[in-house]
Amino acid sequence: MKLFLMHHKKAFFIGTFIFIQALITFLPQSVYAGLSFNYQQTIPSKISGKVLDENGTPLPGANIIIEGLTQGVRSGSDGSYTISVEPGTYNLVVSFISYKTQKVSGIIVGAGQTSIQNIKMLPESATILNEVVVVGYGTQKKENLTGAVDQVTAKALENRPLPNLTLGLQGVLPNLNIRILDGKPNQAPTYNIRGTTSIGQGGSALILIDGVEGDPSLLNPNDVQTVTMLKDAAAASIYGARAVFGVVLITTKKSVSGKTSVTYSTNYASKAPVARPDFVTDGYLWSKMFAEAFVNGDGSFPQNINKTQKFSQAYLNEFKKRSESGAPYNQVEIDPVTGEYTYYGSTDFYKELYKNSNAAIEHNLSVSGSGEKTSFLVSGRVQKQDGLFRYNSDDYDMKNFRARGTVQIFPWLKIDNNADFSVMTYFNPLNVGEGGGIWRNIGDEGHPGSVMFNPDGTLSFSAAYTVGDFWYGKNGIATSRQVFRNTTGFTSNFFSNKLHVNGDFTFRNTNNNTEQKRVQVPYSTSLGVINYVGTTTNDLGIDRRETQYLANNLVADYEDKFNDKHYVKFMVGYNYEQSKYKRLAAQRNGLIFDDASDLNLALGQAITTGGGYEMWAIFGGFSRLNYSFKDRYLVEINGRYDGSSKFPSNQRFGFFPSFSAGWRVSKESFWKVKPSIISDLKIRASYGSLGNGNINSYAFQENFGISQSALILGGVRPQRTSQPAVLPNGITWETSTTTNLGIDLSMLSDKLTFTGDAYVRNTTDMFTVGLTAPAVFGATVPKGNYADLETRGWELTLNWKDKFNIKSKPFSYGIRLTLADNSSKITRYNNPDKLLSDYYEGQTIGEIWGYTTAGFFKDQADIDASAKQGPQMRASPTNIWYPGDIKLEDLNKDGFINIGTNRVSNPGDRKIIGNSAAHYIYGINLNADWNGFFFSTFFQGVGKQDWYPSTESEIFWGQYNRPYNNIPKWHVGNMWTPENTNAYFPRTMSRAASSNTNRTLGIAQTKYLQNVAFIRMKNLQIGYNLPKKWISKVKANNAKIYFSGENLWTYSPLYKLTTGIDVENTGPSDQVFNPGGNSGDGYNYPMLKSFSFGLNITF
Amino acid sequence: MKLNYLYAVLMILGFAACQKLDQEPKSTANRSAVFGSEAGLQLYANSFYTMLPGNATTLDAMSDYLAVKSVPSFIQEGAFAPSLSSGWSWSELRNINYFLANCNNPAISLDARKHYTGLARFFRAYFYFEKVKRFGDVPWIGKPLDVSDSALYNGRDSRKLVMDSVLADIDYATANLRPNLDATRSTVTRDVAFALKSRICLFEGTFRKYHTQLNLQATAADWLNNAAAASKVLMDKGSYTINTAGGLGNSYRLVFTNPTPVATEVLLASICDLTLNVLNDANWWWTSGTYGAKASFTRTFINTYLNLDGSSFTSNPNYKTTLFKDEVKNRDLRLKQTIRSGNYKRISGGVQVAAPPLFSYTFTGYQPIKWTLDDMYYDAGALNINSIAMIRYAEVLLNYAEAKAELGTLTSAEWAATIGVLRARGGITAGLTTLPTVADPYLIANYFPDITSPVILEVRRERGIELCAEGLRFSDILRWKRGPLMEMEWNGFYVPSLNTPMDLNEDGVLDVAFYQGTRPTPAVAGVTYVDVSSTISGKVNSQKLKDGTSGELTWMNEISRKWNDKQYFYPIPQNDLLVNPKLGQNPGW
Repeated sequence: MKLFLMHHKKAFFIGTFIFIQALITFLPQSVYAGLSFNYQQTIPSKISGKVLDENGTPLPGANIIIEGLTQGVRSGSDGSYTISVEPGTYNLVVSFISYKTQKVSGIIVGAGQTSIQNIKMLPESATILNEVVVVGYGTQKKENLTGAVDQVTAKALENRPLPNLTLGLQGVLPNLNIRILDGKPNQAPTYNIRGTTSIGQGGSALILIDGVEGDPSLLNPNDVQTVTMLKDAAAASIYGARAVFGVVLITTKKSVSGKTSVTYSTNYASKAPVARPDFVTDGYLWSKMFAEAFVNGDGSFPQNINKTQKFSQAYLNEFKKRSESGAPYNQVEIDPVTGEYTYYGSTDFYKELYKNSNAAIEHNLSVSGSGEKTSFLVSGRVQKQDGLFRYNSDDYDMKNFRARGTVQIFPWLKIDNNADFSVMTYFNPLNVGEGGGIWRNIGDEGHPGSVMFNPDGTLSFSAAYTVGDFWYGKNGIATSRQVFRNTTGFTSNFFSNKLHVNGDFTFRNTNNNTEQKRVQVPYSTSLGVINYVGTTTNDLGIDRRETQYLANNLVADYEDKFNDKHYVKFMVGYNYEQSKYKRLAAQRNGLIFDDASDLNLALGQAITTGGGYEMWAIFGGFSRLNYSFKDRYLVEINGRYDGSSKFPSNQRFGFFPSFSAGWRVSKESFWKVKPSIISDLKIRASYGSLGNGNINSYAFQENFGISQSALILGGVRPQRTSQPAVLPNGITWETSTTTNLGIDLSMLSDKLTFTGDAYVRNTTDMFTVGLTAPAVFGATVPKGNYADLETRGWELTLNWKDKFNIKSKPFSYGIRLTLADNSSKITRYNNPDKLLSDYYEGQTIGEIWGYTTAGFFKDQADIDASAKQGPQMRASPTNIWYPGDIKLEDLNKDGFINIGTNRVSNPGDRKIIGNSAAHYIYGINLNADWNGFFFSTFFQGVGKQDWYPSTESEIFWGQYNRPYNNIPKWHVGNMWTPENTNAYFPRTMSRAASSNTNRTLGIAQTKYLQNVAFIRMKNLQIGYNLPKKWISKVKANNAKIYFSGENLWTYSPLYKLTTGIDVENTGPSDQVFNPGGNSGDGYNYPMLKSFSFGLNITF
Repeated sequence: MKLNYLYAVLMILGFAACQKLDQEPKSTANRSAVFGSEAGLQLYANSFYTMLPGNATTLDAMSDYLAVKSVPSFIQEGAFAPSLSSGWSWSELRNINYFLANCNNPAISLDARKHYTGLARFFRAYFYFEKVKRFGDVPWIGKPLDVSDSALYNGRDSRKLVMDSVLADIDYATANLRPNLDATRSTVTRDVAFALKSRICLFEGTFRKYHTQLNLQATAADWLNNAAAASKVLMDKGSYTINTAGGLGNSYRLVFTNPTPVATEVLLASICDLTLNVLNDANWWWTSGTYGAKASFTRTFINTYLNLDGSSFTSNPNYKTTLFKDEVKNRDLRLKQTIRSGNYKRISGGVQVAAPPLFSYTFTGYQPIKWTLDDMYYDAGALNINSIAMIRYAEVLLNYAEAKAELGTLTSAEWAATIGVLRARGGITAGLTTLPTVADPYLIANYFPDITSPVILEVRRERGIELCAEGLRFSDILRWKRGPLMEMEWNGFYVPSLNTPMDLNEDGVLDVAFYQGTRPTPAVAGVTYVDVSSTISGKVNSQKLKDGTSGELTWMNEISRKWNDKQYFYPIPQNDLLVNPKLGQNPGW
């Protein structure tokens, strides 16, 4: 299967050789055919006839076109039509809304003759087999597919107020796994197909927009025609090494034929967080609990609440007195001696942080039409979403513009140009007090007992560290992303449309710019005295990144059918892409005034400059052969030579073949099952192997990165470099081999369709770090091809479509269910001792090792009689154990809680207690139409998933993390006390969950492992198509109004504990700022739910 | 015809494409660029400096003389194990060895190559010195190892071999680093190498002398002689003096609080500068109730500060019951530059405010100010602008005096030139020019029961005082083999009675009162009330009085601190031993 290591020149010649063969064979004929078009012109010839419906009644208004000629007519009131043509052979295509498109091929029209073609149209049934599916460099009918391919149309995205396309695709296709990290509107998450890809190089799905790699988050969702997922190696291999883990093909809409139509749509949405943390805001209650947690966990009575507020027993006593006397909170008092403010507040910093709701509005306009030889489509969209933050609002704005047009230059040649321009801007406010996300800052310094403002209107110290910075409103990062892309292509056909040669050239410029400003924020702790936070970061930073990308494709295919039995299609092509990235960044401190926004006004000496450069190119030749016998036996062979600049020259090229086959059992003569029971049955199988080209540029070269030193040496902060990463000695490609078995089934007259696929994907020779070397090696162990991974999974799609009459009006409805699962296991890893600190053979990805919680210690006797928890565990600063502390089970009965030798064979008292990977991922789509009303809803969920809340997770651990963190309300009364021994949490104690080395809650254990399975109503739509008689008054053809809701309802077993945590947003802290961080679960921008109203009108 | 054109285009594109598959990084440098010029060597060598402890002021949180908010688990009985050990990190060494293996381009002048090789070897000596201090025997690795090199799985090399190599490295550095001075005191110079050599050799010499179980006593004198000789080079050179600028009573603290290093005394410092946005967190660490260790000095140590007349404070029969306000008077002037006392003031919003010891921070009453800036602005975060001295001339003098004292060859003239100079800066008027002759029974009883030499005792007293809170104390305890000092009680100032507010700085405002059970009412405004009951809500109270209702403050006596001989070395971390069992574990772990 592996034919790598080919020298690149040889590969090139073999690739082109195939192509030359194909061309030479057909060249003379094509020249002849070309000539035959142009020089025979005498008496007009015609094709004419009638278009009839299934009952034989004339069908007026049907579209009749001749393939390759753009010119088309509509049938008249009696269903008749006539088209004048040159003598020749033609294919006629007739289409009418809600009828199947009919095609009549090979109509021979002699000079002066009229060919009569009466066309019978059949209504479009529930069948999806005739659906045309986009595949690599072409399309295919679903009935002929042999690879694992899934597709959704624009319908899945209609009427939804989506800030970006990716949000709309989440959950729509089974096993297309899009993990949205949080609710920020500018999220651009990666697309994963079918589970864990590689623990080495990694890699996600290749995303192609109209055939060219692109960023879906910058695409206008309204422009999308279809989204197709190529899941197995057979379907994806035509795209070579980057497609190793599947391909998502997004095609945009083409102009509609016929008269010009104008569509305008708009919607207005009101959004709000799906979940808000439900924290204690009563200042006294919080302070009391703070002191208790602090005494137990930090070992003394607190003198401060972290950095921003003073604390003492006297203060607490006074607060208690006020609380018990019912005196009003939110009081600020001034100490008569020191002049310092003392706060008896009850502040809800999250209320200060978020608006109650934020609005989003969208306008979309598209104009499309076609003339005799030209067609065009112009679309534009404006989408604005107000920020969620009450102050220093994080506004989001996206504009898209697309212009697309085609010109039929000759009957055999069409030129197409498709240009689009998108601009996205987002403002992310910053905190200068300590940097990082606002949520962590509130956790650290947003104490309920404090206030936002002092009586004189200045900010409190707590506020300046948190929401007050937003209120001051000057700090943040303005992000702007712009993409301009132009694709110019041609399509041509020869030999009566049997040979096609298509090509395109794309250039794309992407600008990814940020401007960051951090000025100091004033606050006051004493009357009349102003201090500042952020004095060290009084700066302006500008970062400009530009990527110039070129792509070029040239593809030829030939298709023919022999003896009405043998269908053959052969395709061959060439692909070249290059990408050049450059960066220029500068930062300087000392802004002359707070509102300065240009670097010229930064006067300080802390100057940082940065460059950046990356260039890669790939080059590939590919071909595909499809063969089918009597539409019964289907075979497809794909192959691609791929070369990539990212690999060293002796490993640059690889050949990636794949095979797939299908058997349409229902077409066999022995198949006697009635179509009304089973109308179609197809069994598919595929096998293919791909190299993993998802790798960083220059990964095989010794790179000395240069950065600025954090130290002052000789009066400056000089640049520095250090030892480069240790390079591996000889490596080879990672390979992923997928075997896929599938079944397509249509039943009950195509009302019920079922598609199922099961697969095994073996990722072998994964490029992973070697066996942990002794630390004296002194560097990260070089990677090598040390590991194998096996991913097994399956996905099912079940569709039901039917209609019946209610009050003599048709009621049609449909149900679509998708279910998918996958699980990955390490089958080889360079860890012979199976140390748990590393991957090991037999490990299931996502498994969680942890202790078994036996409960809480009851009393001293219980402590004395139980296994010794220390020194492995620690429950207090003094290492003394008290009743109410966590008791872990001594599984190995050695009298101590320990980690054994940290090996699978001796894990101490730990075992596998759960798995953090999502399993049984499902989607449920229901829709119905009646008398102009339409309804649809989409649910999405996960059947099985575990979550152990990470360290620094305030939303889960509250003061068990840090004493000054907020307290989730469900903690109150749920902590162990001598009177409440049945509580969920142990005795109150700070820092028990802030470290995962030896703190009792920071390490995974059974009691606090959460079931985060969930079901969420992603979308709900109710709408009405306005009656023709109303809208005809405004000369509209079509108009509808609707309500659409996103994320309206969720259920999860986690919600038995609290609904203050969004089950879909339990990931680590703000990944935009701390990519790769693995703590602070839930310190995140919330996911939003929305209610929207919209209008869609077509003229 | 048409397809012929296409084919031609295809061929051209194809050949163009193949060439584009050769791509080189442009935003990173390659080996020949880095090692091909002196500027490149400099660029690389800048990475060595991150090894130095930028802010060493926190290292003494593990020492005998600072009481901290919780007992370090290393010295807590039964709390430490190889699973909690750390420090077995070797990436800095590889970074140095990689440099040494490649610093050989003849295009660069020999002088430059020697200079940068000397710099790298200086840092390698520093690296190994730290490793040996922590673990004892460690493997010696002199080159960047290949991942398949079996040497990775070697056992440890003997202390003798490793320290001989360290000496060779530091000797190379002293011989080959360019002799020029760095006025900014931020980079390693030949002088810095001599100073480090004196520190290393003193450590090794005394360690071998007192840790007799190593059977290396015979070589101790060589190391002590080396320590003295390296110090002597700097003393003879005359480039450095003990700072007296700022005047008597201020010149000592200025060395620690000045934004730029005091160049007369400081040889190497970690530089802070607001304009370059490099700051340290000393105020935050030493004043925050939560962030740092809440470290304050024990009374046993404060008692070692001499009276101004050179006499021992503890020779006063009433010293045990002397009140805080009185005991800080008439003492070595470095005391009031080390802790809050007398009329020490801070600055709040530009205004000077009285700053007696603050019982929301200190447990003992002896609250350090050595590294902190007076303006409270600096307290909230990493905002300090004072450069942190890492090696200063006072240490060189102390190293010299101690090495000679241990050798038994310290003369009165040398005493005067070393300890005498330091005591003179503390305002001490007597005993500056002649060797001490009386062994202070207080030092023997509380610190060094096995030492009889008055000279060694006084040198150690001086070292403790002069270098306190500079991160050297724990290694002093190790080399003197005085681990049991870590068990010393954490005690504070004397409290004559309960419920009696005290004025600590004699400014007429009452500052603190101690009570048991219920707080006295009415409370006196401005007074911090500290509960010294034996238990608070059923749990043992860490803050108590020694004699119940009066006596010295004590802190956290309920937690037993225990020193066993095994603690002279850290255990090899559990996971590292699992990866390479040949390392063997240190005795007792």
